Amino acid sequence: MTVEDVKRSETGDALLLANEAVVRGALEADVKIVAFYPGSPTSEILDTFSEVLDHFGDYKMHISANEKVALETVAGASMAGQRSFTSMKSVGMNVASDSMFSIGYTGLNAGCVCLIADDPYAHSSQSEQDGRYFGEAAYVPMLEPSTAQEALDMTKWAFEVSEKHKTLVLLRTTTRVNHQRGMVKLGALNRTPFKKNKWQDVKGQYFTVGSVARALKAKLLEKTKAVRMDFEKSAFNKLVPGSGKVGILTSGVCYLHTMEALQNLKIKLPVFKLGTLFPLPERKLSEFLKSLSTLIVIEELTPYLETRISALAHLVNPSLSIIGKKTGHFSEMLEYNVPIVEKVLAEVMGMKPTVDYDAILNRAGELKKILPERPPIFCPGCPHRGTLWSFRQALQQLKIRDNIVFNNDIGCYSMAFLPPNEFSDSMLAMGASIGVSAGMEMALEDRVIAMVGDSTLYHAALPGIINLIHHNSNVTLFVLDNSVTAMTGQQYNPNSAFNAGGHPAQKINMEKMFEALGAKSVTIIDPYETRDCINPIKKAIEADGFNVIISRRECALYGDRLKKQAGEKIIPSENVKDTCRGIYACVKEFYCPAIIVDESDHKMTIQQDLCDGCLECRQVCPVNAPRHVEVQK
Amino acid sequence: MKKGETYSIIFCGVGGQGLMLLSAILGKASLDSGLKVLTGEQHGLSQRQGSIYVHFRIGDPISPLIPYGKADMMIAMEATEALRYIEYLKDDGVVIMSNRIMPAVTETRMVALDKEKKTKYLTVEQIVEKLRQVTKRVVLLDSLELAIKAGNPRTENSVLIGATVACKDFPIPAEEVRKAVMALVPPKTQKANSKAFDLGRETSSGCLGI
Repeated sequence: MTVEDVKRSETGDALLLANEAVVRGALEADVKIVAFYPGSPTSEILDTFSEVLDHFGDYKMHISANEKVALETVAGASMAGQRSFTSMKSVGMNVASDSMFSIGYTGLNAGCVCLIADDPYAHSSQSEQDGRYFGEAAYVPMLEPSTAQEALDMTKWAFEVSEKHKTLVLLRTTTRVNHQRGMVKLGALNRTPFKKNKWQDVKGQYFTVGSVARALKAKLLEKTKAVRMDFEKSAFNKLVPGSGKVGILTSGVCYLHTMEALQNLKIKLPVFKLGTLFPLPERKLSEFLKSLSTLIVIEELTPYLETRISALAHLVNPSLSIIGKKTGHFSEMLEYNVPIVEKVLAEVMGMKPTVDYDAILNRAGELKKILPERPPIFCPGCPHRGTLWSFRQALQQLKIRDNIVFNNDIGCYSMAFLPPNEFSDSMLAMGASIGVSAGMEMALEDRVIAMVGDSTLYHAALPGIINLIHHNSNVTLFVLDNSVTAMTGQQYNPNSAFNAGGHPAQKINMEKMFEALGAKSVTIIDPYETRDCINPIKKAIEADGFNVIISRRECALYGDRLKKQAGEKIIPSENVKDTCRGIYACVKEFYCPAIIVDESDHKMTIQQDLCDGCLECRQVCPVNAPRHVEVQK
Repeated sequence: MKKGETYSIIFCGVGGQGLMLLSAILGKASLDSGLKVLTGEQHGLSQRQGSIYVHFRIGDPISPLIPYGKADMMIAMEATEALRYIEYLKDDGVVIMSNRIMPAVTETRMVALDKEKKTKYLTVEQIVEKLRQVTKRVVLLDSLELAIKAGNPRTENSVLIGATVACKDFPIPAEEVRKAVMALVPPKTQKANSKAFDLGRETSSGCLGI
């Protein structure tokens, strides 16, 4: 029920995370080249491919600098005749889509599949973006699985569709599909040895502009028709029979919520489970619509299906009553669950939900009133906590807290918008802090400060940085160099000496790069020497031009892992009631979850099993209270 | 379990407590008992000390998410997190919870900064009092104490898992659960984990009046 099942050579049942099932599906399809940039909820796909890389030894893998590079990498591999696969989170496709639209036109050669994962509820994303429009907008076929089993089966099928129609195929998921663990029947693994091709043997033309583009567009429309014909026949577009004139159209995880809600209500309505989001199987759908007087469309986020099905119904069954978001029965916000679906189905069918879900939620709300919130927070030992503390001290000492603008970026450090830091001027997308800073630097009297992590730096910040330097902009940039892409699970990136499978890779020399680009100054600080960081930060902020502060210390979780591998112990800080004077700087200004207050004497207490022993708190404490004892625990 | 039946467990705790291992152990035990499993898990932001949960369903569920009021059991590795997910528990469902509280930093701040020292941390007693308004079947375990008694303070998860099999409607046979614990914990800690499992089971039997 782990990565061992992904490797298993025999077929049979396994319990797999849908993300692992996707990897298994791609491996069963004999994928040869994969490339990814991590992003929740897809990161376990990258992690699993990386973990089994050496076991199989018959495919190649990159952890790419960003999603656009990853998509181009697998497109290149496909052009060169190798089956290839990538996956990315919803917003990753925004970055990759520039090339994706062209790939729609040029088509590809060997099977090439790209999974994109939306995140209703924005569990770990900056928006509830609905990625279903990408397929239609780029004329690229798009499939949507519901279960771990379908994730495996559809991944395999996507390779066939891709290869038959010489097109990229998108596989669209949502968080609740990716992070669902379920029973899966494994298929056969018929892996073949990796072998490079010769361009002469596989070559095609992947070029689009002007008259070429217009000719390709005409072919693309024909290709879409052919794909639609295939999808009409696909078993992934299935009708679950039921009785009556009220039917349901749904797909993805909503199909599962719907079936459980119907089971609860003990009713059997006909359900059309859609597996292909683009092109839609219009003929099959038309037959379904003709058999109904009322259709309930159950889908999260925007009314993508509802709008398209309304247009189709207008042609084939104009009197059909359509219940969905436009009638106010369902929301365009958040993710769905069984209670949400069951309540609407009960209402439409003139029934009552089996359970009074609202009453349960209300009672829980009352009971929970005593509960303190648990906001997300930096881990114990996190270097960002020290960097941000010394940055705040520097601003305080310079008396310029109200004369700066702080543009934040995507990473764990995004949490700088929360107390005790509360830097919340802007945060848009990967690398956007730099572009936003360019505009603000022209528009504002204030000092402009931007912050990126090492992974974000190489992902999308570099063009913006070159732009700032070229324009002699006065901006201070913090680069939080913690060695890895921390937030998504400490994957390697161009700032690491390793890449996929833990294989050695060339680490980019960050300070040399900034110097070569012509940064006015590059200052390196160690956030564990927290107090010593204040003066260099002050200096960099006060200087004219584009100044970089590299705050260098590995991610605490990654550091702990390295220590564990090396057989080193993590030594927590000692409890120091003798030296604690109840100043509470550690509590007020530092927010380390390892620190609590003993109610009996109101002294600070360090929870030994949580403390990472970084001793940043010692530097925050005016009387240096926390310390290490020399005894290993 | 009969065909068509589902037994749902909501796991909750704080990031870094080993919820995923707990889920893996019960997953293996279910499979080895010939039971199907479907889970809705929370992965993603890797920060520790955040609130986390796993929807764990055995038998024939369809949705990966437990509907409100339909969890048969809750396993809480941290006490405040039990209350945070209480809407999932059915009336008179079983709560197996650790008495450990990991205060959020914002709460510590309020306690520390109250000059009159009147602000106190939320207590386990306050939490259990609220839980009891939903169910009388609350098994409160001093999991750390029991783990230390078992010989290794890091066997708290096994204490909680041991407690599950004391429930008479728990669908996985006790010996399969124990075998899964043994298979998935580090070999060096097997003895302590086995003891921890027994201690959790015994204590829980007492609480549930079995």
